[in-house]
Amino acid sequence: MTTTLIDAAEQAEAALLILHKKFMSGNRPPDALAPLNEAALKHFELLKFPHRKHEMYTFVNTKDLVATAFALTAEGSVTEDFIKSHVFPECESSYLVFVDGVLKGDLSDFSAIESAIAIVPIEEAVGQADIKEHLVDTIEKENDVFASINSAFLGEGTLIDVSAKKQVTSPLQILHVSTGTPSGKVTSHPRVLVRLGEMAELKMIVKYVGVQGNYFVNSVMDLLVGEQAGVTFAQVQEDATDAWHFSKTRVLQGRNSRVKAVNAFFGNKLTRHHFEAHLKDVGAELTLNNVSVLNEQEQAHHFVRIHHESPHTRSGQKFKNIVNDKSRSSVDGTVIVNQGAQQTFSDQLINNLMLSDDAHADNKPNLMIFADDVKCTHGATVGQLDENQLFYLKTRGLSEKVAKELLTKSFAESIIQTIDFPGVVQYLENTLLKKLEN
Amino acid sequence: MLEVKDLRAGFDGSEIIKGISLSVKAGEVHAIMGPNGSGKSTLAKVLAGHPSYEVTGGEISFNGENLLEIEPEQRALKGIFMGFQYPVEIPGVNNAEFLRMAYNARLVNEGQEELDPLDFDDILTEKMKMLSMEKKYRERNLNDGFSGGEKKKNEILQMAILQPKLAVLDETDSGLDIDALRVVSDGVNKLKSADNALILITHYQRLLEYIQPDFVHVLSQGKIVKSGEKGLALELEAQGYDWLTPTN
Ligand SMILES: Nc1ncnc2c1ncn2[C@@H]1O[C@H](COP(=O)(O)OP(=O)(O)OP(=O)(O)O)[C@@H](O)[C@H]1O
Ligand SMILES: [Mg+2]
Repeated sequence: MTTTLIDAAEQAEAALLILHKKFMSGNRPPDALAPLNEAALKHFELLKFPHRKHEMYTFVNTKDLVATAFALTAEGSVTEDFIKSHVFPECESSYLVFVDGVLKGDLSDFSAIESAIAIVPIEEAVGQADIKEHLVDTIEKENDVFASINSAFLGEGTLIDVSAKKQVTSPLQILHVSTGTPSGKVTSHPRVLVRLGEMAELKMIVKYVGVQGNYFVNSVMDLLVGEQAGVTFAQVQEDATDAWHFSKTRVLQGRNSRVKAVNAFFGNKLTRHHFEAHLKDVGAELTLNNVSVLNEQEQAHHFVRIHHESPHTRSGQKFKNIVNDKSRSSVDGTVIVNQGAQQTFSDQLINNLMLSDDAHADNKPNLMIFADDVKCTHGATVGQLDENQLFYLKTRGLSEKVAKELLTKSFAESIIQTIDFPGVVQYLENTLLKKLEN
Repeated sequence: MLEVKDLRAGFDGSEIIKGISLSVKAGEVHAIMGPNGSGKSTLAKVLAGHPSYEVTGGEISFNGENLLEIEPEQRALKGIFMGFQYPVEIPGVNNAEFLRMAYNARLVNEGQEELDPLDFDDILTEKMKMLSMEKKYRERNLNDGFSGGEKKKNEILQMAILQPKLAVLDETDSGLDIDALRVVSDGVNKLKSADNALILITHYQRLLEYIQPDFVHVLSQGKIVKSGEKGLALELEAQGYDWLTPTN
């Protein structure tokens, strides 16, 4: 008798239901959230764990992940020194630390921006009609099973609220620490909502790190960006190599709002990031840049859906993935232009640099256009280092090794340099790019 | 200094350089002219060691050493510099940093210590001043988004910093306006000495008014069909190349 994949998935689903029961009885989410947890779980049962041919998981093999029995994270401990080493210089007095998804006031310091933002526990925030509506609505419409799981286990989420016209001048850092365990495998479901009122401005850096391996972090961040508001943010995924990282960033953009996001991925056992944006109202603009550098067996996968829902909206996406050894990356990205979303501009460029024959870089760029007066482009390349660039550098006396390293780094640099935070740029140059030296 | 003997080279089995011999001594300036597609850039790239071109016959020696056996970077370290007709854009590589790396590669090769960024900065500032280059070019990425003329100036900046023994400048004058041409030519003239040599590939006599050649060669269909002194360039400008084109 062979166990088919479907059987394995069914077992995993049953295991998750048991885990959820434990969560609802043992951890006791706040009463205000329990109905949401139940609704999300129902939705999970509808979506089910992805099987091999699931269209959202074409390039991502979740078999091992799904087959792993996780415990809900017992709060591990983390030292202040560890935190300090992961706070970027521009955020010394403007950072929030989430340990296994739980906001730790004593480890956080946001004195520099206290007057500009409100930090509200999600159980309280859900009392506000629009937040509740957002949660109910997104749980119902969720198409990503892992985001559904996040909502099913929502207990400790946080709303970061920037009210109308407020400008948060120092960048806010959100540091997600997974403590992991030396023994059994654990999971956590961090949830952050960021809301910007009309004409508000926020700069933000999100970083994911792990104290040790053996964990599955399954995070969701929602950005609700009001009319004429602007968010510039960077996300750095640097989890333990022996960990799974799934995250979803959901962006809802109002009229004339601007969002600029740059994501940097170190990869690990399995990293998958789902970026879903809705340019809901006229004039909304989105820039999304991504870089990943993967060695050995590391994986990092992008799943991107950008919905242009109104006229005069713009989106631009760039991906640069470097894959070495036996690593894997993928970009599954679709831009959807709704009927009536005339005068939409969108471009998407995916470049992959293969440093080894055993590495994989898959692309699936796609456009779904239901309006006629639009300008949308996309393209994808998979290649080795450019021979003419290599020759140019060598004619200036640089050795093959140095020239290759320089070119490889420059490939990633062109994304890193689009990050607006010098501390993050420098950090990535010293760490992410370090992965290219050997 | 440079001895090229009956050189044959090509691309994917087709021969582009069809038997070229050329002798360049220290202190000399040679100009190579010739119609489009005659093989001028190919010759330059073969001298620099471009891996796409296959040398099928002949010899190249540089100060007595067989160049064909060594890699482009070693040729560079021995003092050969090629100014590209189409300098390559390298986004993400900072210009000043690249220049310092190239400079240091040379120092290390000569058994000297590397210069740190501050000390190198002095050299860079001086050379950029010589070429009337604005400061912003050090912060920009290597040739990335540079105009045609800016790229050519940046090539000469590299030459000024690396101080090669033999510089092969492939159409450095193309794309330069008249002021830039004067500045670049002055710069090249300052770098010239009795110990180094220059090969100028050009279509225009105008460059040769600024940098006076000792010899002018005409390349046509992969061969040097005529060599002469600098008066030849004037004749070419007046009459074109047709009268020189081989009939076979
Ligand atoms: N990489 C290549 N692939 C295919 N053909 C090539 C390549 N490089 C050169 N050639 C061919 O070799 C011939 C000589 O080219 P080359 O660039 O050397 O000419 P050139 O004399 O420098 O011309 P120009 O004055 O236009 O710069 C041309 O016919 C060209 O198309
Ligand atoms: Mg040419």
